[in-house]
Amino acid sequence: MNSFMKWIHKWGSPPWFYRVSGMMLPWLTGLFAITLVYGLYAGLVLAPADYQQGDSFRIIYVHVPAAWMGMFIYIVMAVAAVVHLVWRIKIADVVLISSAPIGASFAFIALVTGSLWGKPMWGTWWTWDARLTSELLLLFIYLGIIALHSAVEDRQSAGRATAVLTLVGVVNIPIIHYSVVWWNTLHQGTTVMRLDGPAIAPQMLWPLLSMAIAFKLYYVIVMMLRARGEILARETKSRWVRELVGGE
Amino acid sequence: MSVWQAFIELLRRDLRLAMRRRAEVANPLLFFVMVIVLFPLGVGAEPNLLERMSAGVVWVAALLAALLTLDSIFRSDFEDGTLEQLLLSAQPLSVMVLAKVVAHWLVTGLPLLLVAPLLAMLLGMKSEAMGTLMLSLLLGTPVLSLIGAIGVALTVGLRRAGVILSLLVLPLYVPVLIFGAAAVDAAASGLPVAGQLYILAAFLAMALSLAPVAAASALRISLS
Amino acid sequence: MNPKRKQRLILISAMVIGVVVAVSLILLALNENINHYFDPTQVVAGEAPQDHTFRIGGMVVNGSVQREVGELMVSFGLTDYQKTVTVTYDGILPDLFREGQGVVALGKLKDGVFVAEEVLAKHDENYMPPEVAASLKKDPPQAAN
Repeated sequence: MNSFMKWIHKWGSPPWFYRVSGMMLPWLTGLFAITLVYGLYAGLVLAPADYQQGDSFRIIYVHVPAAWMGMFIYIVMAVAAVVHLVWRIKIADVVLISSAPIGASFAFIALVTGSLWGKPMWGTWWTWDARLTSELLLLFIYLGIIALHSAVEDRQSAGRATAVLTLVGVVNIPIIHYSVVWWNTLHQGTTVMRLDGPAIAPQMLWPLLSMAIAFKLYYVIVMMLRARGEILARETKSRWVRELVGGE
Repeated sequence: MSVWQAFIELLRRDLRLAMRRRAEVANPLLFFVMVIVLFPLGVGAEPNLLERMSAGVVWVAALLAALLTLDSIFRSDFEDGTLEQLLLSAQPLSVMVLAKVVAHWLVTGLPLLLVAPLLAMLLGMKSEAMGTLMLSLLLGTPVLSLIGAIGVALTVGLRRAGVILSLLVLPLYVPVLIFGAAAVDAAASGLPVAGQLYILAAFLAMALSLAPVAAASALRISLS
Repeated sequence: MNPKRKQRLILISAMVIGVVVAVSLILLALNENINHYFDPTQVVAGEAPQDHTFRIGGMVVNGSVQREVGELMVSFGLTDYQKTVTVTYDGILPDLFREGQGVVALGKLKDGVFVAEEVLAKHDENYMPPEVAASLKKDPPQAAN
């Protein structure tokens, strides 16, 4: 067994995951607080107003990281789905289903903040632009995954069925990312992740990156909390859980 | 038995079964016709409005009719145990799934395709757009059946599968709907339609090669 | 090679071929104008359809915005830095609409004038403080799209 597989199996063991995530959570929470406070203060107060959009551009500090997270979490789920289907790792299943509601919330936040931004900037709350439509589809796919998982009674097949559905839904991810390139509609092009460097002033970029890290940490924290609950619920009968709660 | 023979055998069996239950074959068609008839009654019979909506209406109705019939791909075979036999057979399951989907499309998709121009005429669609309508449905409806097969395979063991199935499948249907309707719209406006048709064909190629595998693994999970 | 393995190989190559076909079809499609979007150069060259709704995008020409007194009617020039098309619009313009700003309009061509049914301001993907923008304006970089 090579070291990668060893690593996967180590993380895949529920007691190990429970213990390590418990140790990591306080650190992650601290980092999250720091990046969030810096990101919000620097973004909402320190950063200068935009030359075109004035102060309303500041919504990017919520909108953009939320939209990134909507896709990022889906990719994490897809990877977890592959790991779960190929190596039958229990934790991957837990990660997948714990992530889905968080991803759905981020996609929803991205849509709502985008809509609030669209009204003053584009002159409309909603337009059937390619980016907006595909983001809406992403939200629907998240909801479908959650619905399927709760509909299948048998835990094990619920996890595997959700994994298959997650992989099928992956086709939407490149569509969202390239929608602004392929269809020249209203939503502006890529600002930060482009080959010729970000098209945003540095004093505006740093708070944005800080917010992006804060959102990622928030996701990891909430996912771990949810996963820990899920693991305890699934392993109620095992010895380590009994020892943990100190009863017979 | 070679894979190809098994494919043909299964296809013939499914078609024969369908021919014995003609009412079930006719029902989705009737549904398709009635949904389209509802639109002029609901939004008013103004010819310009209907003509502009015709592409979208025909496509949405076809999509709903396809959704309605999906359950029949695996449901009855699941109930009488045929599906388990199929899982146990030596033939690759994805090919068997493909045979069932092809049979399903021949029984439900093809009739829709043949009635569609008639209904489009009722809505006042321009005759220039008819060819594109047929072509877009020809490329698009098999994709609906293929994607639907994954959804049915995932939900076949569930008691109340209907609503969940539409929740899973409809978001995946949207791209097909968008490009199908856009192709017909473009044709009605006298614009080139090649782009949309290429994309529909790409969806078909993608779905043909990947959906049977996904549906096969979903079936294995549902029946395990 | 045993028959089982051969069969699997055939199936997998069929799948790969399918995906390759799909990708090449998508690349073909991207060469076509699938979203009925035209820039002013194409419109002037007569590539855009007559009496059909399509979308046009470009920059509002500086100093070209004319408003009718007491009405909402506006007309302005839309340019891609090569050709310019006159656009008329009867309605409320979005906040971000101003001269030198990117705009997407939906409408029809009538006698060489684009009659818009909807005007949407497309803001670009660049974010910078006003001072930077002002200094950029003095010596502008190459025309953005």
